[in-house]
Amino acid sequence: MYKCKEIIELTSKEMDTTLPWVTRMEMKLHFLMCKTCSQYAKQLQFMNKALSALEGHAHAENCQLSESAKQRIAQKMQQAKKIAK
Amino acid sequence: MMQSNNESPESWLNDYGDILYRFALARVRSEATAEDLVQETLLAGFLAFDKFSGNSTVRTWLVGILKHKIIDHYRKHSREMTLLNDDESANDVLVYQFDQQGSWQVDLVEWGTPDKSMDDEQFWLAFNDCLARLPQRMAGLLLLRTVDGLATEECCALLGFESDNQLWVTLSRTRVKLRQCLETNWFSKE
Repeated sequence: MYKCKEIIELTSKEMDTTLPWVTRMEMKLHFLMCKTCSQYAKQLQFMNKALSALEGHAHAENCQLSESAKQRIAQKMQQAKKIAK
Repeated sequence: MMQSNNESPESWLNDYGDILYRFALARVRSEATAEDLVQETLLAGFLAFDKFSGNSTVRTWLVGILKHKIIDHYRKHSREMTLLNDDESANDVLVYQFDQQGSWQVDLVEWGTPDKSMDDEQFWLAFNDCLARLPQRMAGLLLLRTVDGLATEECCALLGFESDNQLWVTLSRTRVKLRQCLETNWFSKE
């Protein structure tokens, strides 16, 4: 029998690899009996979903290229353009 | 011949610069490095634009180039990465959540209908903030593995993990930390 502490590790591992059948059955059984672990597993699944959607939502306002960086990059691109010609 | 305005390399910096910058910054944690990576990406894209097939959007194409640049960056610094594991133990979080027998000693906050949060801009601020609070290697690992879909072996090599098992354990601790932060910063306040 797995302890809750082990179940949360397995819950994470199951997201990244395929666990043996027996282990998965034991986890299912544990979830039936343990509300907190099954809640934990659902929350982890939501986190994964949010992570997949992250790219479209990564807009912290203070997180933009600084003006100086933009100027520097624009300059480099101009140079590259001249060389390319 | 003029290319359509929004797809000429001159406009990339304005159109995609910030998107690329945030993508990079979430994965490398250094503003200077993220800026360099954006610059390298735009230059590489500019030089290879004739190879752009048009099968994807320019944005997706540039993000793809950036991913390679980020992996190169990790590869160059994989030695240093192993030194970054000081604050990864997550013991602080784990210890108070479990008793000595390994059973929960806290109740988790009910997250209700978390999917609704995904329409809320404030949620994404909290989510990004929680990602930024993770130790650097943990955040890198979570994003490379979960979002960018890098193979386990590749993650181990890039981030200096000694074994697959060490990687699984760290990923689990990363999720423990992130979950706890989301609960504190968002779902307890909702």
